[in-house]
Amino acid sequence: MTTLLIASFGVLVAYAIYIATMSARRTERPEYFLDGGRGIPAWGQIFAGTGIALAALTLHDHLLLVSAYGLQANHLAIGFVAVAIIAALFQKRLWGAARLTGLRTMGELIGSYYGSVSLRIFLLFLLFLFTVPVAAVCLSQLGVVINMTTKGEVPAGMAIWGVAFFLFLFSVIGGWRGVVYVIAARFLLALALLVFLSLYTGLTFDQPVPTAGEVRAISGVLLDRLPGVITFSAGFGKDTPVGGPWTTVAILSFALAMSGIALSPAFSLLGISTAGRRGLAFTHVWMIAGIGAGSLLLLGPMLAVEIGTGSTGGVAGLAAFGDRLASIDLMLGAAFVLLLSTGLEIAVAAFAMSGASAMTSELIGRYILPGLTGTRERTATRIALAFIYVAIAMAAGFAPLASAILAPLALSLAVQLIPALLGLCWLPWITRGGVISGLIISGIIVIFTEPAGIIAFERLFLDLPWGRWPLTVHSAAWGLFFNLIVMAIVSVATRKREISDERRRLHEAYLDSVPVRLGSPVHRTAKWSLTLVWLFFALGPGAILGNSVLIWPGEETGTLVQPVPSLLVWQVASWLTGIFLVWWLAYRSELSVIAVTPGLLASLAPLAGDRPQRIAPRWIGQGLGRLARRSDPEPRGSARR
Amino acid sequence: MEPSSGHRATDRHALVMAIWLTGGFLAVVLVHLALSTGQSVALYAAGGTVLAAFVGHIVTNAVYRTAFTRRELTLALVLYAMALVAFALATLLEPGFKEAYFLPLGLVLVGVGAAVLFYMITHYGMRDVFESFNVVRDANVRERSDLVQKRWRSRQ
Repeated sequence: MTTLLIASFGVLVAYAIYIATMSARRTERPEYFLDGGRGIPAWGQIFAGTGIALAALTLHDHLLLVSAYGLQANHLAIGFVAVAIIAALFQKRLWGAARLTGLRTMGELIGSYYGSVSLRIFLLFLLFLFTVPVAAVCLSQLGVVINMTTKGEVPAGMAIWGVAFFLFLFSVIGGWRGVVYVIAARFLLALALLVFLSLYTGLTFDQPVPTAGEVRAISGVLLDRLPGVITFSAGFGKDTPVGGPWTTVAILSFALAMSGIALSPAFSLLGISTAGRRGLAFTHVWMIAGIGAGSLLLLGPMLAVEIGTGSTGGVAGLAAFGDRLASIDLMLGAAFVLLLSTGLEIAVAAFAMSGASAMTSELIGRYILPGLTGTRERTATRIALAFIYVAIAMAAGFAPLASAILAPLALSLAVQLIPALLGLCWLPWITRGGVISGLIISGIIVIFTEPAGIIAFERLFLDLPWGRWPLTVHSAAWGLFFNLIVMAIVSVATRKREISDERRRLHEAYLDSVPVRLGSPVHRTAKWSLTLVWLFFALGPGAILGNSVLIWPGEETGTLVQPVPSLLVWQVASWLTGIFLVWWLAYRSELSVIAVTPGLLASLAPLAGDRPQRIAPRWIGQGLGRLARRSDPEPRGSARR
Repeated sequence: MEPSSGHRATDRHALVMAIWLTGGFLAVVLVHLALSTGQSVALYAAGGTVLAAFVGHIVTNAVYRTAFTRRELTLALVLYAMALVAFALATLLEPGFKEAYFLPLGLVLVGVGAAVLFYMITHYGMRDVFESFNVVRDANVRERSDLVQKRWRSRQ
């Protein structure tokens, strides 16, 4: 299988480099390297956007979770509907704000809108988390998967550095546009392979859903039921929730954390750099909420049940299943490894390239080498990309545990940007003080409900009484709850001082340039109420009804009316109604429909105007000058005077 | 900052490549599966995958308001001819191949060819279909001649 696998990778490498080269040769201006000249086609947004969104819960992780926890973990796939709702809420307004102000990234938009260096630093930290630890975890998992499926013929280190070099190569050639092309193609291939391999597995092997006792489950875990609404546990690491960790509250809060991917640098950059007016709505409704959630929900269990059937669990279970497929046909085994690796590669490539792009705009071009434009900007991005890939590969190869401890912070902290984005996109009364106060409080809470803070505190001082995700509530939800309270109180107290003319003009410009059609107050109330009702029954406490709603009263647990578990039927119904809900919001309410492309508004110049100013600290400029002083090359033939 | 439509050709080409990468890879997996396990249904599925990719290509052409390029037609012809030659050689030289795979593989090849021809005839018309195979039509372009006996060159 190893030979076939390497040959298949070779084809994909050749394809990626060809597409990246073609894209680079036809790029009109050097600065388009960073954002594709905001001309990414709609289909690129549709496929690449879904691929990046699925990085919130990669297929690799989803299969392992479902194989260990059964249908209660399968419920997490419905969380992609929540991702679509958050994306619909913010992406169109971010797209419009970028065009109205001329700013390029979400970090620049938030930093300029609130005029806060603290927010810029927070966003750079968030960028770092996505760019290095999260990407390193994905690359590390990829190395382990390749190592185990090839039975050690390809060492994990070699796989990590080889894949990192390949991803770097096409990224550094093609820039953001080239990366989007390749990611889109890889997602399409992965989708086709997922459908084929799932159906083949379902038809060839024994059982389509994880219900029977043959599945190797963790002791005491309910495979076809949700374990409850909430479990009063101290959190992971302190005690083990009875019946499994995925209570309804855990699922709802995890879905909220998954929504952080819609606020990640990669996904927001893709949205901002999209040219097509039709791409956003289609991505949100039919791809993320539709195909993304549906494929994991319906097809994931077919593969997971076979992965969990073997005598080993975890990645070894994946490798064992790959062996079973390879014993039928070697190409099937290779296709399965490619399927697993694609989701991880998409995440690494997207986070690294968007990280390099945002780093150039928000850090290098702003603080280190102000006024960077054109060819130099492209060169700076390429250098940043090289550093990023070296950092990712080193972290993946030499510090996978440290990366795994830091990586969970990324999504949880990204969710804490919701108040800041609500202020930027919808609610002008939200103030800088409110946003920063909320971020400080929520950041502390998130860090101390995730391994990074808990481990550090317990090593340095004393044991904490809680572990990761106390009460089975995800750290993102803990943080956001207190974030919203603090933000609201501080914003109300400071609103009269802070709202500037530029901010007010931006919100007025939204009404003309990126309008929405939420209807009368009654309609608005109905729409948001329906959204909350859906969240309650599909992801929240109401989902507990799915355990037994389709079981005859009086019959014993497990005797079902239909051949599939009651919970799976509930999940499918929740998913379908979720698609309808997102369609209603994205299309009918025009949260994601773009009618016209707005131009740059001169009256908003103060928001964008601070970008080219020389505001780098003097010591940075002097230090760089000593290191890299050289005279600009003279034009050929010009004489020195 | 907003680019014009200069990238449309690249966008279209990248989309076409993405479609054929997916369809082609899946078809190879299915053919490999069929040849190693003898499951002829996988061969039909491979043919279906190629047809699905072809439909995707047509949809792309419709969205971008373009037609198949000369290079695409040439590549398709070469690949199809290679598949036919490989099929013929395997039938003649590989023991047991004819009994196991001749019918399904033959049907797939005929089906793919027929679908492509059907599309081209319905879309372009019979005459233009044959014109489109004339890939060396402009290989020797010269100025129009003033000589009476060279009037046939007046097409250019």
